[in-house]
Amino acid sequence: MEGASGAHHRDPFKSSVGRVAGQRRRQQAVTVGKERRESVVRAKRLRRADPSDHGDDGSMQLAVMGDEAAYKALEESTVNAVHNLKNLLKGSPAKRIGALQTLRHLLSCTAMPPVHVAIEAGVVTLLVDCLAFGSSEEQLFEAAWCLTNIASGDLQQTCAVEPALPLLILHLGEKSAVHVVEQCAWAIGNVAGDGEVLRDVLLKQGALHSLSRHLLSPVPSLSRTAAWALSNLIKGPSPKAAMELMKIEGMVDTLVSHVSKGEEDLVVEVAWVLVYVTSMSDFHVTLLLNAGLLPPLLGCLASSEQLSLLTPVLRTLGNIVAGDNSKTDVVLSVGQSLPGGIIGVLARCLESKHRTLQKEAAWAVSNIAAGSILQKHTVFNGGVVPPLLHLLATAVFDVRKESAYCLGNLCVAPKESREQGGIILEHLIALVDGGCLPGFIALVRSPDVEAARLGLQFLELVMRGLPNGRGPKIVEKEDGISALEELQFHENDELQTMSNTLIDRYFGEEYGLEEEYGPGMDVLRGSDDSSDYPPWRQGGGLTA
Amino acid sequence: MQYTEETVKTLSSCFLQTLAPNPEPRKQAESFLKQVADQPGYGITILRLLSDPLVDAQVRQGAAVNFKNHVKYRWATPLDPDFPPALNPIQDPEKEQIKGLIVTLMLSTPPKIQSQLSEALSIMSQHDFPSKWQTLLPELVVSLRSATDYNIINGILQTSNSIFKRFRYQYKSNELFTDLKYCLDGFAAPLLEIFLKTGQVIGSSSENPAILKPALECQRLSCRIFYSLNFQELPEFFENHMAEWMGEFHKYLIYTNPHVQETDPEKTSVIDELKAAICENINLYMEKNEEEFQGYLGQFATDVWSLLMSVSISTSQDWLATTAIKFLTTVSKSVHHKLFSDPATLKQISESIVIPNVRIRDEDEELFEMNHVEYIRRDVEGSDMDTRRRIACELVKGLSTHYREQVTSMFSGYLQNMIQEYAANPAQNWKAKDCALYLIVTLAPRQASLGATGTDLVNIEQFFDSQIVPELRVQDVNSNAVLKADALKFFTTFRSQIRKQLTLELMPQLIGFLVAESNVVHSYAALCIEKLLALKDGKQLRYTAADLAPFLQPLLTNLFSALKLPESQENSYIMRCIMRVLSIADAGPFAPQCLAELTGILAEVCKNPSNPSFNHYLFEAVAALVKKACERDPEQVTVFENMLLPVFQSVLEQDVTEFAPYVFQIMAQLIESRMPPLPPNYIAFFPPLLTPILWQRQANVPGLVRLLQAYLQKAPQEINQGNQLPQVLGVFEKLVASKNTDHQGFFILNTVIENVSFEVLSPYMGQIWTILFSRLQYRSTGKFIKSLIIFASLFVVKHGPSKVIDTVNSVQPNLFLSILDNVWSPNLSSITGETEIKLCAVAASMLFTPLLEGSATPYCVKLLNSVVTLLVKPEEERVDEEQDVPDLDEVVGYTAVYAQLHNSSKAEDDPLKDVKDPKEFLAKTLGGVSSQQPGKLPSIIQGLEPSNQTALGHLCSTFRISIV
Repeated sequence: MEGASGAHHRDPFKSSVGRVAGQRRRQQAVTVGKERRESVVRAKRLRRADPSDHGDDGSMQLAVMGDEAAYKALEESTVNAVHNLKNLLKGSPAKRIGALQTLRHLLSCTAMPPVHVAIEAGVVTLLVDCLAFGSSEEQLFEAAWCLTNIASGDLQQTCAVEPALPLLILHLGEKSAVHVVEQCAWAIGNVAGDGEVLRDVLLKQGALHSLSRHLLSPVPSLSRTAAWALSNLIKGPSPKAAMELMKIEGMVDTLVSHVSKGEEDLVVEVAWVLVYVTSMSDFHVTLLLNAGLLPPLLGCLASSEQLSLLTPVLRTLGNIVAGDNSKTDVVLSVGQSLPGGIIGVLARCLESKHRTLQKEAAWAVSNIAAGSILQKHTVFNGGVVPPLLHLLATAVFDVRKESAYCLGNLCVAPKESREQGGIILEHLIALVDGGCLPGFIALVRSPDVEAARLGLQFLELVMRGLPNGRGPKIVEKEDGISALEELQFHENDELQTMSNTLIDRYFGEEYGLEEEYGPGMDVLRGSDDSSDYPPWRQGGGLTA
Repeated sequence: MQYTEETVKTLSSCFLQTLAPNPEPRKQAESFLKQVADQPGYGITILRLLSDPLVDAQVRQGAAVNFKNHVKYRWATPLDPDFPPALNPIQDPEKEQIKGLIVTLMLSTPPKIQSQLSEALSIMSQHDFPSKWQTLLPELVVSLRSATDYNIINGILQTSNSIFKRFRYQYKSNELFTDLKYCLDGFAAPLLEIFLKTGQVIGSSSENPAILKPALECQRLSCRIFYSLNFQELPEFFENHMAEWMGEFHKYLIYTNPHVQETDPEKTSVIDELKAAICENINLYMEKNEEEFQGYLGQFATDVWSLLMSVSISTSQDWLATTAIKFLTTVSKSVHHKLFSDPATLKQISESIVIPNVRIRDEDEELFEMNHVEYIRRDVEGSDMDTRRRIACELVKGLSTHYREQVTSMFSGYLQNMIQEYAANPAQNWKAKDCALYLIVTLAPRQASLGATGTDLVNIEQFFDSQIVPELRVQDVNSNAVLKADALKFFTTFRSQIRKQLTLELMPQLIGFLVAESNVVHSYAALCIEKLLALKDGKQLRYTAADLAPFLQPLLTNLFSALKLPESQENSYIMRCIMRVLSIADAGPFAPQCLAELTGILAEVCKNPSNPSFNHYLFEAVAALVKKACERDPEQVTVFENMLLPVFQSVLEQDVTEFAPYVFQIMAQLIESRMPPLPPNYIAFFPPLLTPILWQRQANVPGLVRLLQAYLQKAPQEINQGNQLPQVLGVFEKLVASKNTDHQGFFILNTVIENVSFEVLSPYMGQIWTILFSRLQYRSTGKFIKSLIIFASLFVVKHGPSKVIDTVNSVQPNLFLSILDNVWSPNLSSITGETEIKLCAVAASMLFTPLLEGSATPYCVKLLNSVVTLLVKPEEERVDEEQDVPDLDEVVGYTAVYAQLHNSSKAEDDPLKDVKDPKEFLAKTLGGVSSQQPGKLPSIIQGLEPSNQTALGHLCSTFRISIV
């Protein structure tokens, strides 16, 4: 039973702060936004004409791009080329290959190939015929290239390729020529980039195993393409494919060895495979760490300037530290060999001008900052605070939100620790003195419900935590009350309750009168304090 | 149920009868419908009926409403098969049938029926869409693509809009994003198609309102769907097609066409609604996607700017004006604030956008006079987030983020001008002063503690002397009411800055305004006085009973008179002020008169309790009076009882559920302040209090428990003689069975133990222990165990340890030692609260003698260790904060909340007043044991944790006890 002093120990709000801001967060498996991978368009790749491959007809090169008439002409030629192929299908192999080449050329000479007209003209069944067993290498290669570019179109166009998938997968076999295998893998990669339904089809037909064999190919472009196609194939959101991949014998070592020895281009693709694996399976994170993934991975982070590489590496790291504290400890200890430690490296990413890096780095930091008290101190003293404060004040919205998660986590004590009221006061005071409050109040006012909740949670920490009642005063001074009031009628119930509770508790009518009038007025205003029970001897009464 | 001619006939006549003016056939029809609605196939039948063109229009309309409600209450699949819902849910096969029909029906029925079906569809989608209703989105898209009639198109969009709204307020999760992605994949492209197609329609038929208006409505709905689909984050499709969307948005923001204007000046035109929706969209992009959006920002800033230059002050354009200003505010606070950095720009924004929107309008004046509740809500309660005045001030704050100095100096100048304008001709230019006061108050940072502490715009003290005091000192409290209200609000806002002397000088004026005719003015006067009285300097109230004394009589007189003014009979500002005054002032001679007024009001509101906050303050005021008066003079209790008890009795007799919890608290307060014996009328009140129905209402329980405790303390003999103890224990048994109310049960049990003699109690003890131990065995919680230890400890100190040991062992031989070892000792150190710790430590100390006598030495080690921990370790180190899970099955359903009355709180009393220090008690007890049974304790002490050994040694030496 609680005594007179009991009421002050209870704080219904604390649990919600701990629950949300203090927790590690995994990346959303389902995304709707554009993938911000800037220099590389990841999911789909069109194969443009090779520079060495001079077209037979100069007029086809479309000298004036964007010219409507020229594009019409291109469409017309494409339809003709399809008809031509149809007519030559039963003809001599050489002629057939010639027709295929013409078609492939038309489908690869612009950034927006006329895929739709080719499909309407019935190109897919013809290409399936061209992929038949026993066809020449050259024919297979040309057909696969055409399919690659058709599958680079929109979802509907990609779906049209479905009848060709079994043959494309078949030609991934050991007996096929390397350039054929690579082109088939490329086509499959494009198909896999287009949603879970098609990925499931590919998985059922065995694409995963066939592709994975080529990860170890001595031909660099092939292992790279295979890794890229696999990364598309295991994207999920269901973790099934990633699990299946990791069950393949030797896979862990293959991946780790690529990261440590591979060319940068290959590491980029392998890192994307790692992104998906580490996001879906804690177990495989452990295996990868045991196999020595961290030193080369962190090495990339410290030495590379490439956005295309840093993005997946940062995200993999973020996934690793989203696991339990012991994994984070390993990351911190391996990172000690880097200049400034891993936190210093992350601080430099936060200082980058690229929004993607800022966001990924902040997310990783937020997960480390959600760890043990020691980990929180390490983050706090590791140099990330100045860039985080800067980002919170000036960055684009989603980066501000990630930064806020970091700063919030730095102030929330881990559940098992006995810090006063679940707050790390030293951090909180330093951050508030560093001027973070306006940034959090701006989040309270933002239309994003999650950001608003985060802002509220931080205000709660400040008002409850800062000594001498400084919290409510400083929140008032930054015009936080009107920000809180804006949420009092929010459609999201939780935000509404939280803001009302905070206003009542810290700025309620009884503010400053607690001695005479306990906090019970809350009950009248609808906040449910019924879980609190009064001191044992009083029954209905309340301590004077 | 089959769709036959007969059913059509029966149901048709039923639906007609539900519209009948005569209640008798109406109720009959309603209950018949409710009954047949349980039959499978009812939904489908109604759906066919309402879509049958041969059926009477009124019947179809009634059926449509009925169908919507049918879906509303019966669509959800019950979560728990063990708890069937009150109404039979619709079965899955019928649901599938309904899903198959509803879109087509909705699009082919007349508008009134369509809107009901659209609502029904939206309810169904909340449960089933998209995972259990995969056909819906494709069906909507196919209809949207093929439709050419804008009634149908808008019907589809309306429905889609309501389906997608949930993306606007739910948290991110994989489930939500899976659904969102599904909706985007299916709907993003068709939405853009219809938006562009309709754009062409609008462009090519610029003179035909019959075509234009539905087309513009279509665009508005498309914009609202845009808002929902873009809310969580910027979807790929929308990023790829941003140029198309933004191009269209721009087109409509600058669109003007006399053919779509409304003739009614109060009606918002469809084009203004569209523009407002666009402003919300670009505001969302500005807030969340400023990087992708920045290329369009310059154009939109210009568009919105020009829009605001031409917007009128008519209420029909309020929404447009506020959304447009919000957009500028967002820009002003963003990294792109430089758009406004030119001083000329700042000046133009201030003069052409801010000030015109802050000035009071005829509509506001009308509200002031006709609807004071709403006016006050907006003016001082923070419900003004969508008013032009407030939003314009938010823009000023936004501009101040980066241009504080310029903005402050500009507005100081404007304020001076306004005051001069007013001074030149007060009667005619009063709105200028109103505007100035509004700006000062609203732009001051909100400071809850003390009111606003200052503002950069004016010198508060000077301004108060020159502009507010004259307003307050005016003879006629009813002259220019708006400015009076403004002045009172200003006073309230800056109350901590106004010198005490001046405030007291103005008190008679404030009291005078309490009876002003204007409801706003007298409410603000009450609010101002109340806030002043609550004001503190450090821990001291600034205004004391002595300060208040000279004004008390007129103050109370006017407060009660104000409650007789039209439309203020239940004015909670006034009642709150009464409560504040009565809890601070020395009401003394005025107390009976005040009580008479309050009981009169109470008798009146009993008839129809409608304003909970007024009623709460009313009871607080009564409690404050009782408290103050009985403290001074216990004799007055009788006077109070004579006035209050008859009203209370009627509250209970008429079963006014809202008031019962208050009545119990105040009755307890009255009994507590009495010396025994209680008069017979109280004793007569007692038996009805034990009726189970009263205890079933959760809100009653805390008050009833306290009242029961008061009776047990003041009249234990009478209760025993009336043979009511078993019933009291019955209440205990019921309360202790639940995790939510067990502590309440212990409150009663503890009071029984303290006030009833052991002889009376002993026949019941076996049963009491059995109840407690079976609860312990089957549904134990941390809270329960702590309560149990406290109860047992109280028993020990009141009736001696051997009584406890014997009664427990009478349940089962040797049970006591088992409980001691498994429950008491292990949990003793988690007790909190000063009184509780003392009680439990003392009781545990008292157990050593009988334990050692009974050769239960091994048990002593554990117990002593826990006692020492309890007494020496700080709470953080010995108490685990644990959360017990409440019994959810008991908190479902509607329950009135229990509202604690602060003014009737009671002081904690200590069952062990003679023991000052439990540490000393422990040391001395051990000293006694040591001398009576030497040689036993040292080996026990050997078994303690080392730190506790040291602590105990320290204790013994402090109190000069030696243990052998």
